[in-house]
Amino acid sequence: MKILSKDKLESVLDKLAESAQVFVPLSRANSSGFYSWENRNPEKEQLMLDTLNVYMSPKNIGFPQTEKMYSIIQSGAEAQIKETFEDSNPRIIFGIRACDARAIRCLDDVFLTRGYTDSFYQARRENMVIIANACYSPGPNCFCAAMGVNPTEPEADIIIRDTGDSGYIWEAQTAKGEELTAGISSLLEEKELKAPEMKPFPTQVDYSGVAEKLKGMFEHPLWEEMAQTCQNCGICTYVCPSCHCFDIQVKSWGDEGYRYRCWDSCMYTEYTAEAGGGNPRPTTKERFRNRFLHKLEFFTERYGYPLCTGCGRCIAACPTGINIVKIIDQVKEASVDD
Amino acid sequence: MKEISNKVKEIANRLLAEGQVDVFLAWEKGDQDYLTRPLAARSVEEAERIVCDEYSIHNLSNYLLKFRDGQEKIGLVVKGCDSRGIIRLLEDKQFTRDRLYIVGVCCPGMNDPLKAIKRNSGLLPWADPEDKADKCSSCAYPNPVIYDELLGSEQQPNVSGERQAKIEEIENLSPDQRYEYFRCEFERCIRCYACRQACVACNCRVCIFDEMRPQWVGRENNETDNMMYHLVRAYHMAGRCVECGECQRVCPVDIPLMLINSKLAKDANEFFGPYEAGIKYQEDSKPALSVYSLDDPDEGFM
Amino acid sequence: MTDKCSCEQPLVPTIVEVVDIKDETPDVKSFYCRLSEGGVPFNVAPGQCAMVSCLPVGEGMFSCTWQEEQEYLQFAIKKVGLLTDELHAIEVGQKLGVRGPYGNGFPVEECQGKDMLFIAGGIGLAPLRSFIKYCFKHREDYGKITIVYGSRSYADLCFKEELFDEWPAIKDTQVYVTIDNPEEGWAGHVGFVPAYVEEINPNPQGLMAVTCGPPIMIKFVLQSLEKMGYTDQQVITTLEMRMKCGIGKCGRCNIGSEYICLDGPVFNLAQLRQLPQEW
Repeated sequence: MKILSKDKLESVLDKLAESAQVFVPLSRANSSGFYSWENRNPEKEQLMLDTLNVYMSPKNIGFPQTEKMYSIIQSGAEAQIKETFEDSNPRIIFGIRACDARAIRCLDDVFLTRGYTDSFYQARRENMVIIANACYSPGPNCFCAAMGVNPTEPEADIIIRDTGDSGYIWEAQTAKGEELTAGISSLLEEKELKAPEMKPFPTQVDYSGVAEKLKGMFEHPLWEEMAQTCQNCGICTYVCPSCHCFDIQVKSWGDEGYRYRCWDSCMYTEYTAEAGGGNPRPTTKERFRNRFLHKLEFFTERYGYPLCTGCGRCIAACPTGINIVKIIDQVKEASVDD
Repeated sequence: MKEISNKVKEIANRLLAEGQVDVFLAWEKGDQDYLTRPLAARSVEEAERIVCDEYSIHNLSNYLLKFRDGQEKIGLVVKGCDSRGIIRLLEDKQFTRDRLYIVGVCCPGMNDPLKAIKRNSGLLPWADPEDKADKCSSCAYPNPVIYDELLGSEQQPNVSGERQAKIEEIENLSPDQRYEYFRCEFERCIRCYACRQACVACNCRVCIFDEMRPQWVGRENNETDNMMYHLVRAYHMAGRCVECGECQRVCPVDIPLMLINSKLAKDANEFFGPYEAGIKYQEDSKPALSVYSLDDPDEGFM
Repeated sequence: MTDKCSCEQPLVPTIVEVVDIKDETPDVKSFYCRLSEGGVPFNVAPGQCAMVSCLPVGEGMFSCTWQEEQEYLQFAIKKVGLLTDELHAIEVGQKLGVRGPYGNGFPVEECQGKDMLFIAGGIGLAPLRSFIKYCFKHREDYGKITIVYGSRSYADLCFKEELFDEWPAIKDTQVYVTIDNPEEGWAGHVGFVPAYVEEINPNPQGLMAVTCGPPIMIKFVLQSLEKMGYTDQQVITTLEMRMKCGIGKCGRCNIGSEYICLDGPVFNLAQLRQLPQEW
């Protein structure tokens, strides 16, 4: 089998960076996320392949926080779309976990299927290679397996498995993966190594039947109670690897301008606020309910698997201690009798 | 804290049972010793879950905004910083005193559950081994400044000077250097608006950053718009911020927001002082920048 | 049956020119758009919508009230906010952006052979108009047509010419108009639409009811229709939510697991009952 030894890791990243933007898990101030390897500040920013995961998810690579779409000119009665900004530069995401790889698949299903193909997402995604880091030691907030994700078999073009000092087992899974592997084969070795043992999940949660049960729970009093302490701050939606709501806005000056899209959050009041003044989700309860139903029921109904991938970031980020695992537990225990 | 916790539960029980309050805001325990989270108890049964311990960091006065349009009587537990938040709301006419029953707790300094959660999450490059909240290392008002009942023994302010030292350090930089310092910090900002949501002083019904007619600050996540967001918000806080530190605590990318807010509070005191926001509630008291007098100084803030 | 936008860049608009603007009411205007070189940028089936934008201001989803062959696309737009204020200020000749067609459209084929009952309130007549005109264009395919329409006042009635002159003159067609409060010079019916429908009491046998209007009106109309014995399959409505992408991706227009822009906006009552009551 192919092996990447740890002392060759940086060389591999450097080589890959010659022909693509390489994104790796990096520390940044006292936070972490997927940032550019070649543009890192080596004194202040460290590679975080040995930690469980990073705080900010890699969704910003295929689905950036802000993405310019097309430029416009309007002069009096004349108007024109000048150019569109699909960005198909090659990108490599190195070292994501199975939960985040599943989230990318969620985004693929949202943006590339169901009648329309989002040209901006497609441009980025076409030339993106995903190298995932198989996970054998789930953390205290992890529950990916309960959501149907296999931590040791991430959905990716290449899987690396950390065997410790001996290095990473390197397994190409797709044609894209094979192609990339061929390009760095001189930096890989042939050796037989054993993959680590999978440790148990500290947190147990049972999602089975929850999507079905939630169908009948729209008016359940549980939502009022669970939404009490939510401050609608939006952090959960921003750290989540699969949340994909976006806004389309325009920036213009004089005759020129451009349209861009940016992340939005269903937690914000004006998310569903209509021009005429109506708002179907005026208070925290409605927005809270909508978010969790989307994650646990609506997406499952629509695409066949849940939108929540069990990464646990929202649990670590929520300032008021709202925990999706507890919500799943409460839903399972709730009595639905009307 | 155990004694205080029991007393708080007792008070909540009594107030709810007697119908003196409709909702009592306090905390409840999660399934780890560091998992304390806010609780809005509406019945004696729910009040059984109430605790008030060393992880009760959250500023419960922020939740009053959820009830501002209603008629409910609210009981809540506040520490020193939180009580200043209540005065902020009263001064901003967002709430009325007669709807509140305030249980003040003299605060010995709190631990931050988020620190413990983040440390145990495996997601951060460096884990602070201590859970003590950063904002508590520099606390001028540990004792509540407004209350109906006071629990705990009086605490000494702890102005260790760490934040002040950092502010002085930045004050001594040139304007270009200062800009660069903050530009680096704001680069990480993801415009999640958690700082705004966690802030008591941010209580506008329609936030300026949500306005579309006109749109004051675009929603692009770039240097310009990030700077504008933070600086405009800071100026809206000037003279009103009660320095509760929640904004910095909740930030997912660790931006040192309190440096700016404390600096502006310091300037407000220097220019218009002696003045500190939310220290004493009087009928018709106003924040420093809501009052204009002819002998106000002309110097800018930054 | 209905064409989805088959372009490769579904979020990028095409430029069209406004060739005519008509005042329908004090706050509703009809905009007639077509490509500068002639023709329409895409074909729109009855009930489908398009994103219309004033490029430097923003985009909004509007029902296409009618497509006249390759001549023009018509949109009836009410002045309620940032974008629509701007649209109401433009003049003939202005270039706008449009993209579409979006949505599932009305089940025009399934309704063939049936009697039709159109119930609308205020600007709600705009989305129904495309279906009404379709029925008139293919008159033999449909049975008796009844239109019940109401607005706050006479001035607020849309498409007055068609309402009072054109449509009542068509074979086997009845048009009932009502306004909320009595007004000088108005000799017609006074009262709310749901009550008027009950008064007229059309026989549910072999009939399809299509309704659109303010949410509160829809709610009462559905109650009335149920009272009058209409089954869930016989009642169709078209919904709205705030929309941004129009292609079922940005997440915000959902009711339950359905995106109003993609799976709707047209639903029959049986489908609506499956959805969370959030509209």
